[in-house]
Amino acid sequence: MSIYSSVASNTMPNRVLPVLGCLALALVWLLDLGVIQPNRIVPGTGHGLISAVGGPWAGLVSLVLAGCVLLSFLPLRRRYLPLLGLVGLSLALLPLLLEVFAGRHLPEDAPYARSSIGAGFWCLLFLLSLMLIEILGRLGSGRGLQLMILAVIVGNWLWILRGGGLESLSLVREFNARPDKFEQALWTHLALAFGAVGISAGLAFLLALKMIRSVAWRRPILGAVSFLQTIPSLAVFGLLIAPLSALAAAFPALQAMGIRGIGWAPALLALVAYSLLPMVRNTFVALTEVPESLADAGRGMGMNERQLFFKLKLPLALPVIVEGVRITTIQAIGLTAVAALIGAGGFGSFIFQGLGQAAMDLVLLGALPTIALALLADALLTMLAASL
Amino acid sequence: MRVWLPPVLLTVLLCALSAGMPTLEPLFEWVQPDKQNVVYERESFLFLLQNHLMLVVISALVGTVAAVAGGIFATRPAGRDFLPLVSQIASIGQTFPPVAVLALAVPVLGFGEAPILVALILYGLLPILRNTLAGLEGVDATVRQAALGMGMSPFQVLLQVELPLAGRVILAGIRTSVTINIATAAIGSTIGARTLGDPVIAGLVNGNTAYVLQGAILIGMLALTVDSLFEAAERVWDRRFLPQTAG
Repeated sequence: MSIYSSVASNTMPNRVLPVLGCLALALVWLLDLGVIQPNRIVPGTGHGLISAVGGPWAGLVSLVLAGCVLLSFLPLRRRYLPLLGLVGLSLALLPLLLEVFAGRHLPEDAPYARSSIGAGFWCLLFLLSLMLIEILGRLGSGRGLQLMILAVIVGNWLWILRGGGLESLSLVREFNARPDKFEQALWTHLALAFGAVGISAGLAFLLALKMIRSVAWRRPILGAVSFLQTIPSLAVFGLLIAPLSALAAAFPALQAMGIRGIGWAPALLALVAYSLLPMVRNTFVALTEVPESLADAGRGMGMNERQLFFKLKLPLALPVIVEGVRITTIQAIGLTAVAALIGAGGFGSFIFQGLGQAAMDLVLLGALPTIALALLADALLTMLAASL
Repeated sequence: MRVWLPPVLLTVLLCALSAGMPTLEPLFEWVQPDKQNVVYERESFLFLLQNHLMLVVISALVGTVAAVAGGIFATRPAGRDFLPLVSQIASIGQTFPPVAVLALAVPVLGFGEAPILVALILYGLLPILRNTLAGLEGVDATVRQAALGMGMSPFQVLLQVELPLAGRVILAGIRTSVTINIATAAIGSTIGARTLGDPVIAGLVNGNTAYVLQGAILIGMLALTVDSLFEAAERVWDRRFLPQTAG
């Protein structure tokens, strides 16, 4: 948090929050908050703020945003705490706007009609999140507080969702149409991404050890793994189809295991290949940057090379290795979505199905969980690295 | 001049492959004996290559200008307030998977080349922004002081001291951004942009491995060619601005 403390003291007027607040105010009035569709495919009619939720709610939204802007101008030392409360509460209660919108506009007698989220709502969500990040930064808050606020907000969203007022939301409808498939996609996605991370972690460890032992191997290994990373994912998935089909055709035993030109096998192989660069680089750097003086101290204490490695070098190198795991995991979660193109399943299958059917809410049903998974993995692994 | 040899050779090979793919028909007939058409013909490979490259180049240019401008703004006294938020956006934004960003662009902007271009620009901006901030923040404060002491204006310091010193890091950011965008643009053919991803997607849909192979080879070649170009550019930069590593 060093950059925050160096910027300005806490009593200086904040210029970031007013800019974000005014932008949110302008966009929420200019763009459509929600859209009502007569059925799944037909493009719907958009509703602006007033028309969507009515005067009192529109007033409340504007008042909250204006309040944030004003509050951030005040030269008070403690203004960030009420700001945090205001912005956090607005974020937590944001789905209520959609509930009010659906309640006002959805015809009772049209079972196929659905409400979907408009650009105005997305902008509001995005800008409020930025404001929250800014406030948390200015407060110099620790990770514990950040996670608690996030948990409260997400918990509240789930609570509103369970209340049933959002049943007509097309995103919820798409989910309700296929809860089993969603769960299956979640597990496939996790299995592929984490399987690839696990395998590549093992491989990378061996490669890094090889690089440490012999200098001659350093350039070829690093060159090979960065070459793999340069090739676009779609090309790698495509290039693996022909050889794997040939393998499966030649060895029926492999085919019985489910190894074919498309499906999980080429996906996992490509994901492992992609994961190698960040993994190898971080593991190698981490293990080689343990200061020689510490190793000498260990030797002086009578440690042999094996003890030296497991008791001294590895623990010291762990934070940087975990950072490599973090980068790899985020990347693998994103690439697993692409792997749906070669029939590997996961959330990507919703994205590409939705794109194929022009059903935008199915696209969202795939894209939003993918983003959520990546953000979650990022948060958890950052915490893990910090605690080591 | 020897540093430019690999990119030039790869470029020639890439163009020759794109133009001469039909002449490799016997090879693809061997790969895919049961199909009538083994060479993708809906669009010429050269056109797809050109379109793919155009998307990447435009997004790289716009992204670079925007990211460098944003980075400069956030590190000037007038914009310092925004520095923490901007650097947070640059790091959190990169957690978003490119496919998801591409997918989210469609509901907002529809199908076709426009949503891809917007997604590529926005997503490609982040690594450049992060590196611009890192590069400018990495300039030694004493160097800046010395330049000001020599009578340079803040604008001259930025143009003649800070940007040249940060340039190498910014260039590395552009390289990362372009590598990601070549891959993302290829996936963009699922939302209606005509790129080298087209043959791959068409091949996957029709079960035609030959199409998939043609697309995949050209996408891979394109990525390698562009990457070798950046490699050469970085070497030239080092030779010019870092005399101690020239040997």
